[in-house]
Amino acid sequence: MSGQRHATVVAAASLCLTLTPLAGIFQGLGWTIPVLLTVTVVATAGSLMRSAGRGQGLQTLAMVAALLILMTALFNGGTAIAFLIPTPDTLGHWLSVMGVGINDIIVMAPPVEASGGILFLTMMGVGMVAILHDMFIVGLRTPALSGLTLLTMYLVPVSVAPEATAWFWFVLPAVAYLWVLADDNLRRVSGFGHRFTGHGQLVGPRFPSPLAATARTTGAVFVAVTLILLAVIPTNTSGLVDQVARGYGDGPGQGDGEFGDVDPWAQLEGSLKRSDPVDLLRVETDDPSPRYLRMHVADVLTNDGFGPAEYDDLDPLGALTFSGGTVFEATVENLRMGTAVLPVYGRPTEVDLDDGWGVDPATGVIVGDGDGLADVDGYSFSYTDPDWDANVLDEAGEMDPGDPRYDRNTAHPDVPELTARVEDILAGADTTHEKTLAIMDFLSPANDFVYSLDTADAGHDEAILNFLDTRQGYCQQYAAALAWMLREADVPARVIIGLSQGRRSDDIWTLTSDDYHAWVEVYFEGPGWVAFDPTPASGVPNSVSLPWAAEPSDEPTDGAPTSAPADPGATAEPDDAPTLADELQSEDEQAAEGGAIGDEPVGSSPAWLALLVLLAVPLLPALWRSGLRRSRLGAKRLSAQSAWDETVDLSADYGVALNDSLTPRQAAAALATAAPGAKEPADALASAVEFDRYSSRDADTTRLPAAVADLRVSLERSVHPKQRIRARLWPASLAATLTERRGRANRLAALRSRMRGPRRSNARRDQAVTGRP
Amino acid sequence: MAFESSPAQQERNPASLSPQEFKATAEAILTNVEWVIEGKSQTIRLALAVMLAEGHLLLEDVPGVGKTQLAKSLARSVDCSVRRIQFTPDLLPSDVTGVSIFDPEKRDFVFKPGAIFGNLILGDEINRASPKTQAALLECMEERQVTIDGSTYKLRSPFMVIATQNPVEMEGTYPLPEAQRDRFTARLAIGYPDVNAELAMLDHRGEFNPLESLKPVCSGETIVRMIATARAVHVAPELKRYAVDLVAATRSNAQLRLGASPRATLQLLRCAQVLAAMDGRDFALPDDVQQLAVPILAHRLIPTTETSMGGNDSVSIVTDILRHVPVVSQPGRF
Repeated sequence: MSGQRHATVVAAASLCLTLTPLAGIFQGLGWTIPVLLTVTVVATAGSLMRSAGRGQGLQTLAMVAALLILMTALFNGGTAIAFLIPTPDTLGHWLSVMGVGINDIIVMAPPVEASGGILFLTMMGVGMVAILHDMFIVGLRTPALSGLTLLTMYLVPVSVAPEATAWFWFVLPAVAYLWVLADDNLRRVSGFGHRFTGHGQLVGPRFPSPLAATARTTGAVFVAVTLILLAVIPTNTSGLVDQVARGYGDGPGQGDGEFGDVDPWAQLEGSLKRSDPVDLLRVETDDPSPRYLRMHVADVLTNDGFGPAEYDDLDPLGALTFSGGTVFEATVENLRMGTAVLPVYGRPTEVDLDDGWGVDPATGVIVGDGDGLADVDGYSFSYTDPDWDANVLDEAGEMDPGDPRYDRNTAHPDVPELTARVEDILAGADTTHEKTLAIMDFLSPANDFVYSLDTADAGHDEAILNFLDTRQGYCQQYAAALAWMLREADVPARVIIGLSQGRRSDDIWTLTSDDYHAWVEVYFEGPGWVAFDPTPASGVPNSVSLPWAAEPSDEPTDGAPTSAPADPGATAEPDDAPTLADELQSEDEQAAEGGAIGDEPVGSSPAWLALLVLLAVPLLPALWRSGLRRSRLGAKRLSAQSAWDETVDLSADYGVALNDSLTPRQAAAALATAAPGAKEPADALASAVEFDRYSSRDADTTRLPAAVADLRVSLERSVHPKQRIRARLWPASLAATLTERRGRANRLAALRSRMRGPRRSNARRDQAVTGRP
Repeated sequence: MAFESSPAQQERNPASLSPQEFKATAEAILTNVEWVIEGKSQTIRLALAVMLAEGHLLLEDVPGVGKTQLAKSLARSVDCSVRRIQFTPDLLPSDVTGVSIFDPEKRDFVFKPGAIFGNLILGDEINRASPKTQAALLECMEERQVTIDGSTYKLRSPFMVIATQNPVEMEGTYPLPEAQRDRFTARLAIGYPDVNAELAMLDHRGEFNPLESLKPVCSGETIVRMIATARAVHVAPELKRYAVDLVAATRSNAQLRLGASPRATLQLLRCAQVLAAMDGRDFALPDDVQQLAVPILAHRLIPTTETSMGGNDSVSIVTDILRHVPVVSQPGRF
């Protein structure tokens, strides 16, 4: 195979290796054939043109033409001449196919089927990358640039399918790149003519150069280090596309409506973990102590946890009814909210919004079309938010199993472990209210449950069981656990996601992203859906007490902003608003939380650890060296030999070459020549090691540490300041230590190979060496 | 017997000297010899070391640089008997070893000891003798005894042969075969004196011959004690290993056709012991071994033809080996 053909094959094969992560995007393996065909066609066209001795321009043209012909053959829509020659109509057809493809990409989530527009786009993209790749590697002989094409190819699947960031998807592209580099260098070195070992012996053409061992080791080490870093650095497990779609993140320039309509749980978690909370809403209400603002109702329970149903079949806002109780008025100023649902208190009776909004009859969630709240600067509504008497709830009946809402709100996956636990907990509880309170008691801090935002995942069945075991979680786990356990007991329950009370100034309540919260609604025949909040008040910055629920008791130090009124009918007075001290304390807590478990937690996150390690890496040699010195000169290990080892290393650090064929005296003389003041300590050290090594008695070591120190000082004085710094930070002796075994073996091998004469017939054991130059 | 012979117990168990005494005595001998041979202290030192290591010395140099003077002055400085044999092609082995002749008075054969029965034998121009005579000498050197007509005669102690050889004017000579050169512990070249030394020599020799005024500074018995003392000098395992590594390196060197023998290793360490003792130490150092490597190893090596034609001799090869063999060997590495 000629050189260029070989290089072409390497280029094509390396590109194919980099395409493997595409498996994460496509369903099945059907995509491989057209993609491989594209790469092959492009490579063949380029190689043929090169064989014909044409220049790079013609090669590139030929590859482009080949790609176009291939695309025409596969996607002509009946517009091509003889199926192969594209016409202007073909171009139009392609544009429409591309439109379909782009649309598919936006609409569909991976894995997708490799056909139609998506396949067209893939083949076209791979084809163009293949042309560049071939050009870089074979045509222009700049294989390093092929890293760009490989990276481009690798980024596509990685940005779309998060699975592609897994380490094993990275290995093949990395190996492909190293292969390209190595192959090109091999070609280059082979071009020199005969290859020789470091000792001047000829290497057969089919054997690897002994010098390549270093390159192989380096390459392997780099791949390994990268993989370790990939494993350590926390990756955003949702792909780039998802992140873009999520579209929230602060930044003053981005304006309003940043909180897009996404998975409410993700929004909840993301908001609570923000290190810098942002203001979302400003509410003015005549309710002296407003409770939580409802947004989503998550009443569909699967193994993956609670999630909201699709809000369709909306009733017009006029369908809101008044069911008794005090009516309050609230006016909301939208600061940053961009959700599709409307945060409202209690049971809204009237909402002042346009026709685009409707109410979901099953859940009472008010849903907008289009951009949702992003277009709304403010709104007002009236609502009732009844207080329930615990006794009323105790006496209230349960939902009739024949009720159409019953199945939806009690359905739950079968998790036998959970069923068993719930039976334990609910032993002795009869009514819905008792059952609810029993589970809330179980989840209380008194039962060792601790509020913590630092919880890996939440919601699904195993996470709930984990939560019950580890007893650490935040409102999502608390709410999900309560609702799920109630459903296990056939009590209709659903999780509500919304905002807690917020901070008050006068009649204005300001709600921030920290106020995102989740709680539970339990159905009582008569009263209807009644809110319960199992999360400890300490975990919710501005929590509200629900008098009908025995609030989970709390540690006395926690600053529950609103005290629980004794009288169920009473509401908190403005005086009960958080005191300054409370507020400060709670801010401190938030700050501490933000520091510990914020977006990028300091200290605990592997990313920070990795960064620290990376920063410390340049200091490691110095630390290691000084540790080595201390251990050698420490009272425990001190001997003439260890002091001498230190002397030899010191001289290496300061650039005095001490060959190991020098005797201690000769070494001391060399040191004395290099540094004028070094003679005395060097002689002392040399004579000690001589005595230790060659006499039958032990050497006196008492003065050796001082001698080493003197030697170091005089060596330091003798060198340039730059070398002094290098000797401290990057001691050369360490490198020597690391390569010592190897180096010694190499030296001896070199000596032996020089000594090995042709007269010794059995001397040539290494078959790779074919003869002497 | 009509010749002196050292008592066996004297050789085996002589009272040893302290390092200081040893050093002082050695210095005295050196000073004495240096009075005759100016500016060659290192050569004299090595010659004395060979003597105290019970070895034999081969002086190979051009005529007139003081080979004989060195041997003579070394012998004079020690109170012991010196014999000189001028080797010629017609010299017979019995001239060296001695012969039994019939004594008419006693009516019996009487052994007439040859020149070899002395403490210090100076064999001048050894390469001019016939191989048969050379062989007789070399045999005595190794065995330290002479067997004639069934009787064995022990040679004296100290016993040392200093043979000289002229590397030029090779016609009509029988150069020592390589194998026999191995019998000599060390080969030294004296070399021309430097300018100052030569001037000093002219000044001295103008008035009198310093060799004649040379007085012995120690007795033969002291030399025997010194030999015993040197043998007791400590040789650490690391040093033995180093010596073995050095010698092994000559055997595996591609530039050499023949490497050094195990006898060389033995003598290398024995001479190193003497050098250490002369330095006042009771342990030998790699430095001692390094000083001795060229004199002791070089004459035993045979370079390949290519090497010789390339202008490299065994001296430069040994020097090169010294530069490459680690002083502290890693076990199992070499």
